[in-house]
Amino acid sequence: MKLVIGGYAQGKLNYVLGKYDVETIKIYNGELPENIEEQRETIVINHFQNWVKRKIACDDCPEKEIFEFVEKYPDCVIISDEVGNGIVPIEAFEREYRERTGRILVELAKKAEEVERVICGIGQKIK
Amino acid sequence: MMTLIIGGSGSGKSAYAEDYMISLSEEKKKYYIATMQVFDEEEQKKIEKHRVLRSGKNFCTIEQFIGIQNAVRKMEAGEKTALLECMSNLIANEMFLGAMPKKEEVVTQKIVKGIEMLRKELSHLVIVSNNVFEDGTVYDETTMEYIRAIGKINEKLAIMADEVIEVVVGIPVPIKKRQA
Repeated sequence: MKLVIGGYAQGKLNYVLGKYDVETIKIYNGELPENIEEQRETIVINHFQNWVKRKIACDDCPEKEIFEFVEKYPDCVIISDEVGNGIVPIEAFEREYRERTGRILVELAKKAEEVERVICGIGQKIK
Repeated sequence: MMTLIIGGSGSGKSAYAEDYMISLSEEKKKYYIATMQVFDEEEQKKIEKHRVLRSGKNFCTIEQFIGIQNAVRKMEAGEKTALLECMSNLIANEMFLGAMPKKEEVVTQKIVKGIEMLRKELSHLVIVSNNVFEDGTVYDETTMEYIRAIGKINEKLAIMADEVIEVVVGIPVPIKKRQA
């Protein structure tokens, strides 16, 4: 699994697209694919943080789901915004979203074979 | 020796800083200087979480909410190291604990002076600070002044520090490397 992180509007998806043949990948925006019968393409999860946010709002457990998902699809690419670099929000939900998204990304980074951080469209390999 | 470790919320900076402290402290006495004051249940839980994270790591905890140089008086003589967590709480306390919020310059000067005094007593001081600068939000003037104070203090601490490390998704990214 590969993890690509960075701030909002840093060109993360474009960066990933530049590294793959577009024919060989399938992009999912803010969702995890369900019931894939035969996986031919590399799964790219874009806007991963939006999926986490939705799961928290529904009182689901995004931690369990995503860790199972990456076990099942070890070749996937996960693209996520970094969301923790700001003033701690006043709203409890926003605080929880930032904290849990951060923790999930720390765990995914441990599991990932490669972690890249994208700034101004340029990828820095940090693992 | 002084190390500055920065990162955002949930970046894994605390866990990294604690392991880093253990690797450099050897047999020296290790202090944990806690700057956060508890005001509600959520903060209490946060502190508990940090305590669990630290348990078994042999830290001696000192609570120092303001006047950071006074932490020295609570330490034993001899070779020692300290982990200060978190600079942004210390800055908030210095700024807002009085009747009126203090100016950025006043807070910056006081804290930098306090850190200078503290580091002289220690063989290694590790400071954890926060990256609060990248959410693009324009807050009220008091909050902006607080953010500027954190920025200014991080800048000054980075000059004093022998090394600066940013923790991103739990991974240390060197910002300023130690001179050989």
